[in-house]
Amino acid sequence: MRGPNTRATLLGAIALVVLSAASASALPTMIRLGYADCAACHIAAQGGGPLNAYGRGIDIAQSLRIGEDPTIDDNRRVTQDLRLVVQEQGTWTSGAAGVNFFRPRLMYRNATAISNALRFSATVTAESAHAPRPALGYEPAARSSTIFVNTALIHYKSSAAFELAVGRDQLPSGVNVPDLAFYTKSRNRLGYYDAPTQFKMYWGASRYHITPFVYAPGGNEPAGERESGAGSLAEVDVLGNHRTIAGVTFQRGTARNGDRRMVGAYARLGFGPWGILAEHDVTDRTRNGPAVVAFRQTASYAHVFWAVREWLVASGIGERLRVEAPFAESLNAGKVELAARLSNQATIVAGTRFERNVLTERWARSVTVQVALKTVQ
Amino acid sequence: MKSCFAMRLPAMTIATAACVALAGPARSERADEPKPVEVRGSVAFAVDTNVPAVTVHGKSNVLTAHLRVRTAPDGTVLEGIEAALPVKSLETGMGLRDEHMRKYVFTAGDGRLPDLQFKSDKAVCAKGAPRQPSTCQLSGTLAIRGTARPFTIVLKLTEDGDTLRAVGDGTIALSAYGIERPSQLGVRTEDAVKLRFDMTGKVSDARAVGTTGKVR
Repeated sequence: MRGPNTRATLLGAIALVVLSAASASALPTMIRLGYADCAACHIAAQGGGPLNAYGRGIDIAQSLRIGEDPTIDDNRRVTQDLRLVVQEQGTWTSGAAGVNFFRPRLMYRNATAISNALRFSATVTAESAHAPRPALGYEPAARSSTIFVNTALIHYKSSAAFELAVGRDQLPSGVNVPDLAFYTKSRNRLGYYDAPTQFKMYWGASRYHITPFVYAPGGNEPAGERESGAGSLAEVDVLGNHRTIAGVTFQRGTARNGDRRMVGAYARLGFGPWGILAEHDVTDRTRNGPAVVAFRQTASYAHVFWAVREWLVASGIGERLRVEAPFAESLNAGKVELAARLSNQATIVAGTRFERNVLTERWARSVTVQVALKTVQ
Repeated sequence: MKSCFAMRLPAMTIATAACVALAGPARSERADEPKPVEVRGSVAFAVDTNVPAVTVHGKSNVLTAHLRVRTAPDGTVLEGIEAALPVKSLETGMGLRDEHMRKYVFTAGDGRLPDLQFKSDKAVCAKGAPRQPSTCQLSGTLAIRGTARPFTIVLKLTEDGDTLRAVGDGTIALSAYGIERPSQLGVRTEDAVKLRFDMTGKVSDARAVGTTGKVR
């Protein structure tokens, strides 16, 4: 039996985890402050990877420990950093024993300007534990690797509003949240090890943004799942205030074992201290076998966030997944998350997620704590 | 280094506030008697930058104004309009940016941080169709950093008993005040700052006296 001291220690530890858990990645939630897309702060128009000079300033400004007025070199040729992400997750499923998962990752991120218009970017990850997306009967996961090249792109940027990129990377997506476990990501080949070879374009006017792309296999797909295809994102700033982004996405991919055609809609809405992110995708799939099977998958994502402080963001997220027979699935999930940016070098995120399988009536819950540390030039 | 991704022109707000006073009260029983109006409201601003994805937004909810209102044959008349907005109340959602904004946009040469102030002697609001807002054009001066410049804003005024509501949009140019466009790490704001005012005024039963613009 636990004594009062033990209980107090446990409660203290939990409180510490929850209170210090703030998020480490930034993000589409910046729509709340009028940052309509990732290109404002990231060197890559798609987001992720190293921050540009302005983004590094924002990184500091949005931290608990701001320190002195930042002095940042905005004329560097090489921008690079090392990022260590340590994640501990405990998962409990009704009728089964709990599982703990510890996943440390070390990432090297580089963006090198070759000329005023040309640059190269890369992200390479080393990890000791893999986190592939769910291995589905109709879509096996891409092969994981201890050393993985997430991104290797050559960019041509003729102006602030136009960029071409060719290489390997994750495909563009509507609500570009960094968590790849959400159904809209994990069920649409947007997992951690999905990095197809691609050619994409970013073109933006003051109120419109279009991102068409074509792609081919990345090389780590299972046999028969090497998909090629094309798609596009198209979004508009509805009220012209950079805080009301609505968009559509479509994609068609073909592989020897089956095809998919996805149509989706998404929104990023900001209201100062809070905002909403939402996405709904409908994917019609076929699987080739003795007979061709056609079925539909729908995935929904709704996210309300609130910046309690500039450096502390709380989120409530709801998800829904439906897959038709013969691969029938019906899942509902919810997640609560607290993310704290302690400094421009350290962020911490804590969250808990619940998932209900409607068909089996089984519940699964998980608690995750993630600490991210990075070097800053 | 000059920073301040943001800017604000709350001052205009002030002007707007004045409008609030308009029509409604003037149509009361003592149509030609000016009545004092106390106004509270908010002003929001937005300014684009040289980066398409970045627009700076800000807001203050502590706009105050006072004026007198009376009815005339050609519409409601606003007189002695004075409005003020404390610079420190303007926030962009990013503390460091707010600091930069106050430092580079609103701090006067002598180091003071004067309130934004709008003054107008008189404005006439054109009568709208029944149940439609009336339109007021406020012309006066807006002071930023203590420097007054001519400023005009058009407001839509609606009334509900003794309560008036005025909403309007306006634009100011930083260059008109000799304010350099703030920039930070390659992101520079545009010169034009868009403003939106939303104010509510309460008409007092007390009769206003005097001509100094002060409400008694």
